[in-house]
Amino acid sequence: MKFKNMIAIAIALTSLASARPASAALKVVTTTADLGALAKEVGGDKVQIDSFAKGYQDPHFVEPKPSFILLANKADLLIVVGRELEIGWLPPLITSSRNAKIQVGASGYLDASNNVKILEIPTGQITRAMGDVHPAGNPHYWLDPGNGRRIAGAIRDKFSELSPADKAYFAQRYSDFDKRLADAEKRWDAAMAPYKGTKIVTYHRSWPNFVERFGLDVIGYVEPKPGIPPSPSHTLELIDEMKRQNVKVILVEPYFDLKTPQSIANQVGAKVLVLAPSVGGTKEATDYIQLFEYDVNLLASTLKTITGK
Amino acid sequence: MDWTIFQFLAAPITASLIIAGIHAYLGLHVVERGVIFVDLSLAQIASLGAAIAVWQDYDPHSAMVYWMSLGFTLIGALIFSMVKAQKAKIPQEAFIGISYAVASAAVILTLSKATGESEHLRDMLVGNILSVQWPEVWTTAALYLGIGIFHYVFRRRFLEISMDPKAATSRGVSIRFWDFLFYASFGLVVTRSVAIAGVLLVFCYLIVPSVGAMLWAARIGPRLAIGWVMGVLVSMLGMYFSVNFDLPTGATIVCTFGLALIVMAALKPVLFRHAVS
Repeated sequence: MKFKNMIAIAIALTSLASARPASAALKVVTTTADLGALAKEVGGDKVQIDSFAKGYQDPHFVEPKPSFILLANKADLLIVVGRELEIGWLPPLITSSRNAKIQVGASGYLDASNNVKILEIPTGQITRAMGDVHPAGNPHYWLDPGNGRRIAGAIRDKFSELSPADKAYFAQRYSDFDKRLADAEKRWDAAMAPYKGTKIVTYHRSWPNFVERFGLDVIGYVEPKPGIPPSPSHTLELIDEMKRQNVKVILVEPYFDLKTPQSIANQVGAKVLVLAPSVGGTKEATDYIQLFEYDVNLLASTLKTITGK
Repeated sequence: MDWTIFQFLAAPITASLIIAGIHAYLGLHVVERGVIFVDLSLAQIASLGAAIAVWQDYDPHSAMVYWMSLGFTLIGALIFSMVKAQKAKIPQEAFIGISYAVASAAVILTLSKATGESEHLRDMLVGNILSVQWPEVWTTAALYLGIGIFHYVFRRRFLEISMDPKAATSRGVSIRFWDFLFYASFGLVVTRSVAIAGVLLVFCYLIVPSVGAMLWAARIGPRLAIGWVMGVLVSMLGMYFSVNFDLPTGATIVCTFGLALIVMAALKPVLFRHAVS
């Protein structure tokens, strides 16, 4: 039994390494559910997709499980968010997979951040005075539909490269997604239009692309530094600043504790909103378009009751 | 169940067996001395050294970070060997607990002042057994072999100061000096183990085999043997559970240790019906 399995898999592996038959589905592994959802849009039933991090998990900290190694080992393509988001857990996983195809730089490794719009890239010398800085820019770039489109485009190109026979199929799926996304964007822009320039506070720096796209203005963060509890003076400054600038909304990711944001909100009469930062972050966010549908609707309806616009 | 997974787990399995080997032995000393939480405390003091080096703008992967954590481990060892020599009424565990709390808090303070990769530093200090790679396994094996030989050569001394420090003192042995050697070598091992396996798992490898062995045997030799067998069996069983139910490996092994201890306690009256009076 065990031996049969081993032999079967050994044969499967060697045949995969030499040439993948055109009929077999491309095996794709993504680090996050968002990339999985975008790959699904483009790949349809010609690809088999698995994602490591669930949408309700913090993608900075993922606890590796044995099945991850097996998935990575059998993958034809690994798609990563990049920009150091997965630096804490992914590199050893790639090494352990012993899969030459998905090593960094190989043809089966796709860094989705390569041709998207990245914000908060520090310029010049990074000094301590700048506080916590990601040298490669903010890795939460998928929260802008424009970047979602760019990622889907990169995935289409990569799929076509690995599976040339299905090139037309991927191109068709991509343009269909592109159209549905464009239609949805019109709806979202209309819903958010009245609230342009609204000042908000967020917990972690997860939302720069989202707020830039929808014209919101982040004036501060609950968490001064990832993983470090806020100091009393930071919290007091934030409360004063929120009062002064009349900020009424705090955005929080589902994996952070609500205690601190809630107590700040109570002091200034603001509302704490838990938005989904990823597909699967809430049960309504079933795919990439539904993710924005959920976030935009929740945000717009909350801002409506607060501002009365 | 897919058995091919085990070919990918060869490095984690080897690492867990190496850790089980040296920790079952050191655990014997730690339980005898009644300093159960000393490993957590020393590991945290080592983290503080690493955190300070990172705060001083050293790259988290640089050698300086390693030397700083080593230096702090030795300072911790010195503190614990001094504290014991004070014949005060305050239990040694109190000082160990205090060092743990203060060192943990100091790490948070230091990292709050550090730039850049601070959020990843804690990941690096607290390892994940599933992510272990072969080069780490071999350097760890070499280090533990060296420390194992050192302890084997001076085994009588080490056992004497752990089990009967009064007799040793009366024969003119410098408790303070040997205690320092014990805590220093122990700190080296624990810091390394925590870096590859994480705090919880290392604690279990240290304490549970030793306690389990005490349930079944009184003499040092059999206790060590039971501890080793238990450490190896639980490692393998935990790995199996982790793969079979697809659970995070470290936490699965920890819970398997708990289960094994319960089973051993339950079996005690059955196995030792005549021996227990």
